[in-house]
Amino acid sequence: MTRVPQALRRPAAVIGLALLLMQIALIVLAPIISPYSPMEADPAASLQPPSMAHWFGTDITGMDVLSRVIHATRINLLISVSSVALAFVVGVPLGLVIGYYRGWLSGLAMRIFDFVQAFPIFVLGMALVSVTGQEIWNVAIVLAVLFIPIFARLIRAEVLSLRERPFVAAARCSGAGDLDIMFRHILPNALMPAMVQVSISIGMAILLTAGLSFIGAGVRMPTPEWGLMVSTGAQQMILGVWWVSLFPGLAIVVAVLCFALLGDVVRDLLDPSRARKTKAPAGVALPVPGPVPGTLGESR
Amino acid sequence: MTRSELDMKPVLSVEGLRVVFDTPDGDRTILQDVAFELRPNEILGIVGETGAGKSVLARAIIDLLPEGGRRVGGTVEIMGRQLERMDEGERRQVRGGQVALIGTNAKALLDPVERVGNQIVRVLRSHRKLSRKDAWAKAVKLLGDVGIVNPAERARAYPHELSGGMAQRVVIAMALITEPKVLLADDATLGLDATVSVQVLDMLVERSRELGLSVVLITHDLGIIAHYCNRVAIMRQGRIVEMRDVTGFLAKPGTPYSQELLDAAKARPVPSIRATASEGQPLLEVSNLLKIFAGSRPGEEVRAVDGVSFSVRRGETLALVGESGSGKTTIGQCLVRLLDASGGAIRFDGRDITTMPEAEFRPLRRRIQMVFQEPYVALNPRWKVMRLVDEPLRMLEKASAAERLRRVHRALDLVNLPTSHAELYPHELTAGEQKRVGIARALVTEPDFIVFDEPTTALDIRVRAQIIDLVRDLQSRMRLSALFITHDLNSVRSLAHDVAVMNRGRIVEAGPLEDVFASPKDPYTVKLLSAELAVEHEAEARHVHIPQPKEAMI
Repeated sequence: MTRVPQALRRPAAVIGLALLLMQIALIVLAPIISPYSPMEADPAASLQPPSMAHWFGTDITGMDVLSRVIHATRINLLISVSSVALAFVVGVPLGLVIGYYRGWLSGLAMRIFDFVQAFPIFVLGMALVSVTGQEIWNVAIVLAVLFIPIFARLIRAEVLSLRERPFVAAARCSGAGDLDIMFRHILPNALMPAMVQVSISIGMAILLTAGLSFIGAGVRMPTPEWGLMVSTGAQQMILGVWWVSLFPGLAIVVAVLCFALLGDVVRDLLDPSRARKTKAPAGVALPVPGPVPGTLGESR
Repeated sequence: MTRSELDMKPVLSVEGLRVVFDTPDGDRTILQDVAFELRPNEILGIVGETGAGKSVLARAIIDLLPEGGRRVGGTVEIMGRQLERMDEGERRQVRGGQVALIGTNAKALLDPVERVGNQIVRVLRSHRKLSRKDAWAKAVKLLGDVGIVNPAERARAYPHELSGGMAQRVVIAMALITEPKVLLADDATLGLDATVSVQVLDMLVERSRELGLSVVLITHDLGIIAHYCNRVAIMRQGRIVEMRDVTGFLAKPGTPYSQELLDAAKARPVPSIRATASEGQPLLEVSNLLKIFAGSRPGEEVRAVDGVSFSVRRGETLALVGESGSGKTTIGQCLVRLLDASGGAIRFDGRDITTMPEAEFRPLRRRIQMVFQEPYVALNPRWKVMRLVDEPLRMLEKASAAERLRRVHRALDLVNLPTSHAELYPHELTAGEQKRVGIARALVTEPDFIVFDEPTTALDIRVRAQIIDLVRDLQSRMRLSALFITHDLNSVRSLAHDVAVMNRGRIVEAGPLEDVFASPKDPYTVKLLSAELAVEHEAEARHVHIPQPKEAMI
């Protein structure tokens, strides 16, 4: 009995991995499996309900909702994964340094994090995107800025306790310098919560990407993007046109759920001993300042 | 024990007890055919090494097994009533009412947000119908009886306001308040300083005698058994391998395993190879060392090390003994420059290293190494043994990978670890093996001087003896000089040539080991020595002669 299958054998892990594989398949196979072009309008077929020709119906410009939902997987996951990757790459070393060298600079960094995290996320997003332009990469960078403090704080908290551990003193006696201690001794032991946070953050990033597009601060039409699709559909909701918003909304739910489940899997894989005893480490949840995006929301 | 006592019915009798634990690989038997009787007024010692099942036995007696544990056979009879015939309500009355359990680490056993007096009251009122006021009065009286000064006031204290010894007394009071018939003390004084431990145990035994209690003392310290118990049960791998009266056991243990335990508990003779080259200047010379920490209040300062001077010559070992908080570990950390001294001077091989910058001190680290106290936490959990032992070489010496590998293997060999262990992670090793890895790390650069910080604490009897034998062997083979920081006087006898006794940051007495231990002059040294429960002395007190152990085969 090896440790990997044990962590992957739980039902939550199976579902999470299945959803992940499904999304990867959609990303790879999008051009092949989508029945229509995701950006080709057909005014003659506007707002058609789900049918054999259009399984998920069509939107107001006559674009096929199914094809757009499939293609949007690419955009949404690209933005989410790259923003979290960027935040990880910047936040982890930052957290390591400010945790290891305490002092006024570290205090200053913490106050900046407070500021970033206290700022209403959508106001910040709108401001940044309106300055930099509604491009995919800008959205990713905006999200990365929001996530950096999360990773930096997590790592810093770990480092603060690890640096007092006897094995660090022992390493110092063996002649290890600051860099050795930071990167070879402390970092590998501090990464676990951050790794779990990666998965959870991707889920949050999907939600925020959709939220930013929903309020018009994200990518622009006709790019297939879930939040944007929910937003265009929301206007017709009261007319009984439910399909334009519902299907991309469900896609968001599935994607977020998938990464939330995978967070537990990552934790179990990294530390099977702790997994059996306790639930996810406390404090890894994303503190979302400001309004939570209403993904299946009312019209504004 | 008188005839009439022997005839009395046992207060606790355990018969054919078998306990298994669920594991992913099926049931694992933890206790097997455990049977014993506890007579009225008797103190029964249960001794065994980690994993022998001592604590599980205590929990099984009160029918509160840890999660996953099940009793699958045997009976437990308390005051003539079988535990398995009782309903849950009656069993709850037994727990704390007739049988009380005292655990290790009292501070963790107390509720941190409740006044200790209330915690005692709570126990009492769950077993007896009593008004809150009366219960409080009883609790305060009992706190006084268990040796807490000013009990009315201390009853209002929260656990964090108490010292470890005080907290242990509170836990004992909690156990005694319901006037139980049987007291199970599971390593009740583990982790306390020797002097405190003896005070607490003395008090516990005295109270029990007064109240007519029977006590089961579970411990891994044969000195405690020899000093306090009437009978002893030796446990190994879930079985009682031997059970008899303590005097008989000390005179002639009945099984090879108990013989081994008893031998391991004895001190080795003082290392004989006392420096042939004592002449010349000392290798390490500490004069007037001072280390001041900032106190908890602004402006307050704590003099952890207050003007300490000593020296160690080549090939000699100095033991620094004292209780926790005496400043001995701080001295060790100053020597290897984990801490900067606030004053005084440390000279190593003629060079002043007190305030030497790290860059200049680095080459010297190869020659001064330290073995850390807790074996597991001092090893990076994500590094394999190979990398752990290699680290000092990689950092401090310019050697090829092949050369380093060779030396790592030699270091592992020196500490009697098979080279195959190089591929294991720390958590895959036993505590003794972890300790050996720590020693191998210190030895790999072939240092002249090693600081051993509490090398024998938290180890089982036999493992402790093995580590002591290992260090003795290294002393003679490598002509190692060492500073040996410990509160374990038994290991000091086996390892050190000289001894310095520390109390509150100062050395109160120092000199050759034989002189200091044979005729201590300072009252603190006297107190420290009298708190030592060495099996040899206890055996003598029982008019039993136990021979010195043969020099261990290495």
